Parts: sequence; structure tokens; C-alpha cells
Amino acid sequence: MRIATIRGQVTSTVKHPSFAGQRLLIAVPESPDVAPQIVLDNLGAGIGQRVMISSDGSEARKMAGDESSPARWTVCGIIDPEVAP
Amino acid sequence: MRIGTVIGRVTLSVRSPRYAGERLLLTLPWKRETLSGEAKFDPAIVVYDELGANAGQQIAISEGREAACPFPKPTPVDAYCAALIDEITYKSEL
Repeated sequence: MRIATIRGQVTSTVKHPSFAGQRLLIAVPESPDVAPQIVLDNLGAGIGQRVMISSDGSEARKMAGDESSPARWTVCGIIDPEVAP
Repeated sequence: MRIGTVIGRVTLSVRSPRYAGERLLLTLPWKRETLSGEAKFDPAIVVYDELGANAGQQIAISEGREAACPFPKPTPVDAYCAALIDEITYKSEL
């Protein structure tokens, strides 16, 4: 699992059928050497929010509702905003 | 899934018998700098395509074990074109 920031989203008409109706967000991981990833989201993460993303394909296939889905990355949590001590 | 830009095709005359009707795309995966407009990419990879992407198209590349999930039988694919991207909305810093 990686910490990332949601920086945008993509729209697609021609896609694997398991992606129909899914939100596809662009997550930029905080590690500078890791490429941005398109992630599935069903938690309602917004642009600018820090999230935890997981590369568990099994969970991604469940979210897509299709065992033949090529999905891999999903948003598995929205990180709480930092509060002053 | 990484974002990638298609730059060409690969054709194989001698190939795995598990491939059927494949299109193979030579693709430049995006780095984070690519999102902010710089022409910097990760090293090119070959992506298996069933959706019909052409050169210049932005695609979503599924990689690793999940790339082979759409195939009913085990197939030697580790990069799969999962979507043709119409539009990218990106905000660098807020």
C-alpha cells in the first residue's frame, strides 16, 4: 500500500467492460520514483486529497464485480487531514 | 494502471500459440513529469491491445498478474490496454 495524492481523473468511452460506471482517478504516489497510477475509487476521494492505494488485484476485481477485470490499483482509504497538536 | 502514449505497433509472425488476434502496441508509460507537460517518459513497453488503439492515443496500461486476467486461459501477457483515454483532468498543486 502506498500513500498518494489524487491529482485528477480520466474519462474513457472504449474500455474493458468491467470499468463501466467506475471512477478512474489519477493518484500520484508520494515516493518520487513511482509513476502516477490510475486507480478505481468507490469511497468518493476528491482531487487534492491524500489517500492510501493498494495494488491488491483481487480486491480490485471484487470492486469491479468481474473476475476477468484487469484492474489492479484501488483507493482503500482517505487519509485524515493533519491537525495541529 | 499507468497512463501511456502509443507510439507504434509490433507484429509477430512466429508467436505463442496462446495469442489470438492480438495487436501489440509500443507504448511510452508516463512519469509524474509527463502529467505536467514535460516530454519525459519511462522506457517503452509492449502492450497487448484488444480495444483498437492507434499511434498517438493515450491508454491505461494494466500491468503485472492482472494484465492476464481478461484471458480465459493462461496467456503470457504482463501489460494490457485496459482503456482508451478520452480526457485527462489534472491539477498539479492546489
